[in-house]
Amino acid sequence: MIHLAKEDIRHTLGKFLVTAMGVGMLLGIVLIMMGVYRGMISDAEVLLDDLNVDLWVVQGNTLGPFAESSRVHEDLKYTVKSITAIDKSEAITFQNLQLPLADRKLAVFAIGYDIYGEINPINLDRLVEGRVLENDHYEIVVSDKTSYKLDDKIKLGRNFYKVVGITHGTVASGGDPLVYISLKDAQELQFTYTNKRIQIDRARGIINKDSHLVNAIIATIKPAYNIDEVAQDMEKWLHKSVYTRAEQKVVLTRNVVEKASKQIGLFTVILVAVATIIIALIIYTMTLEKMKEISIMKLIGLPNSTIIKMIVEETLTLGLLAFIFGNIFSHLIYDKFPKNVLLEIRDAWLLFGIVIVASIFASFIGVKKVINADPTAAIGG
Amino acid sequence: MSNNQAIKVENLNKAFGSGDAFVDVIHDANFTINKGELVALIAPSGAGKTTLLMMLGCVDKPNSGTIYLGDEKVFQDKWLTKETRKIRREKIGFIFQAHYLIPFLNIIDNLTLLPQANGVKDRESKQKARELLEYFDIAEKENAMPSQLSGGQNQRVAIARALMNNPEIILADEPTAALDMDRSTNVVKMLKKIAIEQDVAIVMVTHDDRMLEYCDKIMKIENKTVVFI
Repeated sequence: MIHLAKEDIRHTLGKFLVTAMGVGMLLGIVLIMMGVYRGMISDAEVLLDDLNVDLWVVQGNTLGPFAESSRVHEDLKYTVKSITAIDKSEAITFQNLQLPLADRKLAVFAIGYDIYGEINPINLDRLVEGRVLENDHYEIVVSDKTSYKLDDKIKLGRNFYKVVGITHGTVASGGDPLVYISLKDAQELQFTYTNKRIQIDRARGIINKDSHLVNAIIATIKPAYNIDEVAQDMEKWLHKSVYTRAEQKVVLTRNVVEKASKQIGLFTVILVAVATIIIALIIYTMTLEKMKEISIMKLIGLPNSTIIKMIVEETLTLGLLAFIFGNIFSHLIYDKFPKNVLLEIRDAWLLFGIVIVASIFASFIGVKKVINADPTAAIGG
Repeated sequence: MSNNQAIKVENLNKAFGSGDAFVDVIHDANFTINKGELVALIAPSGAGKTTLLMMLGCVDKPNSGTIYLGDEKVFQDKWLTKETRKIRREKIGFIFQAHYLIPFLNIIDNLTLLPQANGVKDRESKQKARELLEYFDIAEKENAMPSQLSGGQNQRVAIARALMNNPEIILADEPTAALDMDRSTNVVKMLKKIAIEQDVAIVMVTHDDRMLEYCDKIMKIENKTVVFI
């Protein structure tokens, strides 16, 4: 049997391919949006995975430093460490910094940690150049996304910091590159005011000498202890909020990136709807262009099923080609985006399913036109 | 009932609209057309030629009356089959003012499309198509697209297409309207030859009086009914 869809597509191949490319670019954007969402989730988990700790002790009645301001005393780490179930505990700080570049400032997320401590937040697998921090002051490890090189000097606050290490793939939940500094430097940057501010505060009678604050205490527990039970016990008598790693993950993914992911999800749904409408309109136009031929086919006796098969096959081919072009397009441009875009096979398959269903829906409008086509329209006079 | 009968129409009526908009188009038409006859159908514009052609072609539904195609009664105040399209596919060939070939199919596919939809095997339908293309002296064009053929060649392909399903009847709606005098004469002579050689009844709507001399009968719609002149 003659394959009508194939012959029709071959007859207008250039036009068909350009149309598929156009729809494909739209589907490529859908894939990118999905990739941005995956990237956000992945970014949010980088820090948690690198720290690889069991418990987070943060300021009471707060969700912790990833969601809101949290301050605890540094020496709380000793209290935590004294608990039987705790294996290791360390103080840690998180803060947003602006690193000066030649022509602009670059937003980064800085982690301050005790370089002599038991928990090192730098994942050595991500360290691509240089070393971890070895001195208490004025050393910094930066992400390769900052574009700094080893031995570069960066002015932060009142001092210059030397780049001693470069990491790859280290980003915060907001997509900002991570940098690592010593706890002492971090405390100075976060809690020490300028001389003028100190002078004004003193004039106002405010004396704040305590810079030994941190944002959280992180801890690991000994084997055979139940993390949830330990967390509940600590919360009872420490008067702090204590989160397990799983809870902290929820805080990051649900409380921090949830709105962004909903927004992206909504955009994705709208784009899929637009793509469906565009495919439907293209198929409708293609069907309209063939109405004379369709009337003739009906008049000479071709069954509707043969003509409908042609329309549905053309729609599915358009959807399939657009999907392939969309994948090519998204893979060509994904690394040009400033944020991490993670293209995953499961998302591509999901989109494939959506495109097939959308194409079938889109073909209905053309099929309806075929069913209603008047065979007498083929005859004049 | 004669074995030679291709079309028989009894008391056929067709009207459109109702009330003030009522238009009686065909009233109480009775006629018979035999196999092997080329019959011209003439009438002024708007008199109902195409409507009559469409009723004979099982496309337009008459209001009342009886239609036989060959020996089969297909209409008696209603269609006697649900699938009028099947009747068209199996018994009727159509030729139009323009060739109306499917532009995205090559010539041989244009010819084999209908028989293949009827379940005829690919090889068989292609053999029949090649015989017809040979018959119409355009065998070398079987792989060409319609856009690559002249108007006359395309019209010959269109006639060949009408013959592909071995029809008992060919309904031709002004097949020479788009052709010059010489080509028109050739097409009508060809139809006459087909009618005799293929033993098929051809009803041809025409406005061109010069073509009437080649026809066996001239059917005219006059005062809303059909008369032979």
